[in-house]
Amino acid sequence: MPRGKKSKLRAREKRHHQAQSEDQGHRIAHTTTAGEEESPSSPSLTLEGSPPSSPAAGTPQQSQRGLASNSAATTSCESSGEGAKSQRKERPSSSQAPPSSESSREDLLSNKVSMLVKALLYKYEMKEPITKEEMLKVINKRYKAHFPEILQRASERLELTFGLDLKEVDPSRHCYILVSKLDLHNEESRSDGGMVLPKNGLLMPLLGMIFLNGNRATEEEMWEFLNMMGVYAERRHFIFGEPRKLITVDLVQQKFLEYRQVPHSDPPRYEFLWGPKAYAETSKMKVLEFWAKINNILPTSFQTQYKEALRDEEERARVRAAARAHSRAMTSSSCQQR
Amino acid sequence: MQGSSRRTGTMTDVHRRFLQLLMTHGVLEEWEVKRLQKHCYKVHDCNAPVEKLEDFIHNINSVLESLYIEIKKGVTEDDGRPIYALVNLATTAISKMASDFAENELDLFRKALELIIDSETGFASSTNILNVVDQLKGKKMRKKEAEQVLQKFVQNKWLIEKEGEFTLHTRAILEMEQHIRETYPDAVKICNICHGLLIQGQSCETCGIRMHLPCVAKYFQSNSEPRCPNCNDYWPHEIPEVFDPEKERGAGLSKPSRKSLRPRQH
Repeated sequence: MPRGKKSKLRAREKRHHQAQSEDQGHRIAHTTTAGEEESPSSPSLTLEGSPPSSPAAGTPQQSQRGLASNSAATTSCESSGEGAKSQRKERPSSSQAPPSSESSREDLLSNKVSMLVKALLYKYEMKEPITKEEMLKVINKRYKAHFPEILQRASERLELTFGLDLKEVDPSRHCYILVSKLDLHNEESRSDGGMVLPKNGLLMPLLGMIFLNGNRATEEEMWEFLNMMGVYAERRHFIFGEPRKLITVDLVQQKFLEYRQVPHSDPPRYEFLWGPKAYAETSKMKVLEFWAKINNILPTSFQTQYKEALRDEEERARVRAAARAHSRAMTSSSCQQR
Repeated sequence: MQGSSRRTGTMTDVHRRFLQLLMTHGVLEEWEVKRLQKHCYKVHDCNAPVEKLEDFIHNINSVLESLYIEIKKGVTEDDGRPIYALVNLATTAISKMASDFAENELDLFRKALELIIDSETGFASSTNILNVVDQLKGKKMRKKEAEQVLQKFVQNKWLIEKEGEFTLHTRAILEMEQHIRETYPDAVKICNICHGLLIQGQSCETCGIRMHLPCVAKYFQSNSEPRCPNCNDYWPHEIPEVFDPEKERGAGLSKPSRKSLRPRQH
């Protein structure tokens, strides 16, 4: 039976209030374990930085207090280098905090580890890289000090359970991807038949660099850029394999890049441009946004290129609209002919 | 490590490969899952007997439990196909999507979700969704942009589009059922037979109870005079066929054709 308009409206209003409080909190289901226990002893040490000012939801503040009373235990842990490998009971505790705070710390960290694992798995599903910034956002920047331990435990979990290795693909930008240790066959691993532009490899940074360089890059400029990422022409790369073959042959064959002689160059020099498939599968704006994300800046920071990307977006919209109008005209004229 | 204390915590490369490929595909039908399982055994461990799928998945899930994720089995609402996906076991709002979409995009999804839940057919028209674009939180979004975001949701298997209307992808239902039931307790529809969340289905015109199409198919199987289980009135809708995987594969098709019944009956 259809619901009356009034009850639907009331239900919707209730939802908005609920959605607002949801947005601001952490995952209520799991942080309550840590948050509900108030640390019995007043914390003598606080985390670095100022204490939290009027948190949006009660829970995060309580979890932080739980951590604060154990910060001494934390530092002794990290300096001893045992990190994830040590069992909870074996961890040396120099603080006077009772065991309940210790277990709430462990619960909280486990929670963060599982959140990070899930975020990394999702990025693996989407075949996209993840930056350190994004990872910190997942676990909440408040826990930045615990990030190395959380990351270590997350990597171990990913390796043990999923056979996935977390690799830093771009050390200069703290960009990571998950790579299978199992050497998957390509036909099985791609449900889309390899048609979509891969975002977790070298291609996106290359397209970005070419665009920012004025839509072309000489071979020398290209290698200079790749060297900064730890990719060298004569050295086999632990993720990308043979870099020279990848960028001058493979990506060119797949039409993502164009590799051609610089006009009128003598002795012949070569340059890289975007290939037709790159123009089809992505856009200047998307590449700029990707570049900005991994460099942790806004796309508008690149004023000239941003304007160019905007013009490109408008042009694409015009082309799409014209195509739609054309197809409508075709169908209506064919209808008239009947 | 937390996983090592579980009784069945023996993850081998067979299980790991299975997980990796399941994730890469997002969501798989049961026959694809069985084929995938056999493939993983073949690659790593030719001699071991292929474990029964249910047990195989149960073992993997016992290891995944401490991460609050699991391989969940569901059934498509329109034609009763069994499907599998790796989902989060948590009640937080749209947590998996949160890492991939901006604030205004997530809000667009939320609005679409609400329209879908409130609708009679389980479908929300593109027009109705686009009309709320100016109410979205975060950065202002134009309608053209919103159209593209909706397509992204379809590509990433959160929504399904049929003739300009949108409903939830089975994967989204699997992932978000608990969250939806908790967030919209008054508005959600429940199936009278399986008591699961109902987005698309048939309803009794007399007493208003609802049933999933596959639940209708099973309940009224070989019943020449179908009657409402609640009020006993004559059931006025076409009774769909029970999904039979053997029949589909036997027809010699490599990919079973979808014969979906649009439940416009109610």
